[in-house]
Amino acid sequence: MTAVTLPPSRRRREVLPVDFDDTAEEAAYRARVRATLEERDAELLHVRPGQSADARRYEAELRATERVLAEAGLVGVTWPQEYGGQGGTLVQQAIVAQELARARVPTLINHIGIGMCGPTVIAHGSDDQRQRYLARLLRADDVWCQLFSEPASGSDLAALRTSAVRDGENWVVNGQKVWTTLAHVADFGILLTRTDPERPKHAGLTMFVVDMHAPGVTVRPLRQMSGDAGFNEVFFDDVRIPDSERLGEPGEGWRVALTTLMNERVAIGGAGSDIGQSAEALAAHARDRLPALGAEQQVLARQAVGRALVASLATRYTGYRRFTTLSQGGVPGPEASAGKLGGTAAARLVSDAGVRLLGDDAVFGATGDGDETWQKAAAYVPGVAIAGGTDQVLRNILGERVLGLPPEPRTDKSAPFSSGGRR
Amino acid sequence: MNFDLSDDQRDAAAGARAFFTGSASPAAARAALEGTAAPAPGRKALADIGFLGITVPESAGGAGGSVLDLAVVAEQGGAVLAGPSLVTAARAAVLLEGAPDLAAQLADGSAALAVLDGPVSGSAPSVDAADATLFLGLDDGVLVVGEGEVVPGAPLDATRGLARVRMTSRRVLAEDAAQLWARARQVGAVVMAAEDLGAADRAVLMGVDYAQQREAFGRVIGSYQAVKHMLVDAWVGVDQLRSLVWWAAWAADSAPAELPLAASAAKAYAAEVFERAAETVVQVHGGIGFTWEHDAHLYWRRAKVDRLLLGDAAEHLDAVARLAVAGALG
Ligand SMILES: Cc1cc2nc3c(=O)[nH]c(=O)nc-3n(C[C@H](O)[C@H](O)[C@H](O)COP(=O)(O)OP(=O)(O)OC[C@H]3O[C@@H](n4cnc5c(N)ncnc54)[C@H](O)[C@@H]3O)c2cc1C
Repeated sequence: MTAVTLPPSRRRREVLPVDFDDTAEEAAYRARVRATLEERDAELLHVRPGQSADARRYEAELRATERVLAEAGLVGVTWPQEYGGQGGTLVQQAIVAQELARARVPTLINHIGIGMCGPTVIAHGSDDQRQRYLARLLRADDVWCQLFSEPASGSDLAALRTSAVRDGENWVVNGQKVWTTLAHVADFGILLTRTDPERPKHAGLTMFVVDMHAPGVTVRPLRQMSGDAGFNEVFFDDVRIPDSERLGEPGEGWRVALTTLMNERVAIGGAGSDIGQSAEALAAHARDRLPALGAEQQVLARQAVGRALVASLATRYTGYRRFTTLSQGGVPGPEASAGKLGGTAAARLVSDAGVRLLGDDAVFGATGDGDETWQKAAAYVPGVAIAGGTDQVLRNILGERVLGLPPEPRTDKSAPFSSGGRR
Repeated sequence: MNFDLSDDQRDAAAGARAFFTGSASPAAARAALEGTAAPAPGRKALADIGFLGITVPESAGGAGGSVLDLAVVAEQGGAVLAGPSLVTAARAAVLLEGAPDLAAQLADGSAALAVLDGPVSGSAPSVDAADATLFLGLDDGVLVVGEGEVVPGAPLDATRGLARVRMTSRRVLAEDAAQLWARARQVGAVVMAAEDLGAADRAVLMGVDYAQQREAFGRVIGSYQAVKHMLVDAWVGVDQLRSLVWWAAWAADSAPAELPLAASAAKAYAAEVFERAAETVVQVHGGIGFTWEHDAHLYWRRAKVDRLLLGDAAEHLDAVARLAVAGALG
């Protein structure tokens, strides 16, 4: 028999190794955040059923809410203070996220700016760019969007065609982006372009910050299957971008984009304070609606609710584990893709269970008070499964980078982009 | 907040892995199925190494450890389909809180205990009952201990030591024990989920291993998405199950009010994740995976059996929904 050491937990520690309770410091911070949110409650927007139909007004309210939160030091918690952040810890950021969810404050309007664009500017921007953009971004003085996908290049992002050609101190951009979330309200975007078609596809890309109000930028909202218009087509016709708005070196755009994508998976994975993803919201909904169902339907609905809650909790606690790793100094790796897969699956189960609880109201018009919250949440999930990497693409990443399975054969990596790769 | 194992627990897991891989194996599980051996490593080895007494108080000769300590060890036992189950030790340790003498016998292995589900006059198939000599049961709300007549069956999975028992003598250990019984069952469910975690994890790794070697149509099969994605889905499930198991074990130790919800969540998820992992490893192996000689079916057997023990997924999903509706999510 192999000699082993016994679990030395006989020595009682002061703090349990796994501990979901706040430390004294964390508890104090949480109390401060909660007090702030209560104090400024009247100035904040809240998630509520049958939300404001007037999109313009809703946008203004969202911007105002983010500004209030930024003033209160609750936006960009981990960002450096010199750029308007709090220089805080990841734990503090998580506490803020939990408290915002608890207070039913909707997702911040600049979630793409905060989660993806800002971190990319921090990592690859010049000092001047950081000074000009970041603090304004946190206050939602400027809303940002991410201009990556194109009609012919989504999953295969590096196949994009939007071109940027150098002209003295400027670059001239032509091409089209699509499915650009928030472009219709955005002031700036990070834009991935092709600057050298003679190089292999990943090597000829360059990233810029683009002014969405610049001449030659046209934004056309696209209606989504949920009925809302949250994303857009964006056209670039001879748009001039000063070279000082470049992010990273010419030809280094892919490396810059990877920063964005890495942050995107972390930002999306396991997140979601909105109805339709939240275990608490589903439990409250079940409390309201279960009694109205027949006995047999109640049994079936409880199975659906239970399954959704378990998936949701599994995703939440997996997020906590990743997050503990990060706060101990680890870097976000490909595992973050698992968080997005899990979160999508949970969101699907949660919103489906929410709809199921409506009984006949689920399929036969809205419920009495015009509340379509759960139907909308369900209709949003297919998009969640696509945005930020489809389920299939994430499975490829996990299979190859975490499980170590061989990559698929591909022929497009070394040929000049202009030769069309294998096409 | 800190949601990670301590270094001590990592060390304990590594030690447990070394012990279990040296003393139990799927080959032993196959021998048990063929009736040529008892489940390995057996009670004595588990008692000698101290694993039966991890959660037994030091005053009763145990290690006085946490349920989480036990769970990280149980995961390693699950990986090689070890028996008897640490579920029995975990559950009995809770039930014997008021009986330190018996708890001591549990820890040192001098009593071969099993916990009976269903009526003590004719129990349901119960874990580790096949070779036990002393039984704990709930009889009309009263916790009893006694001897019994063991009726072995032909279980789908031989590593669980399943048997029906008719208790022939009983001594009352505690009146009004329904709550204690429920908590013991919840702790048992957590530890079973931990064993399932280990087994599911191992099954996925077996599949990954094979997918890296086997070639078809001129390529390694793991490069095909149909295979790759199947393994990834199983792996994501395992990764998420680990979170629920640790959370539930933590709840058992530190947040008793959360235990019912957490234990049911972990047990329900374990049933589904382990079953998918076992099904996946069979499919990834193709024809070999369906042979008696291959280990895949041993994992598959345990998955099929475990999902029904200590409450099936449907029961636990229902419990999760009821508890959440009653406000358990806070
Ligand atoms: C709600 C929403 C918001 C979005 N917001 C933004 C945004 O703000 N900015 C932005 O730039 N983009 C945005 N997108 C676009 C999004 O990033 C792309 O839609 C996504 O990357 C998929 O690309 P595609 O639509 O071109 O699909 P395709 O890449 O054409 O994929 C079609 C199908 O083929 C599969 N597929 C493709 N490649 C592989 C492969 N290698 N292996 C297996 N299957 C494969 C996909 O999984 C999918 O099922 C958004 C999309 C949605 C739905």
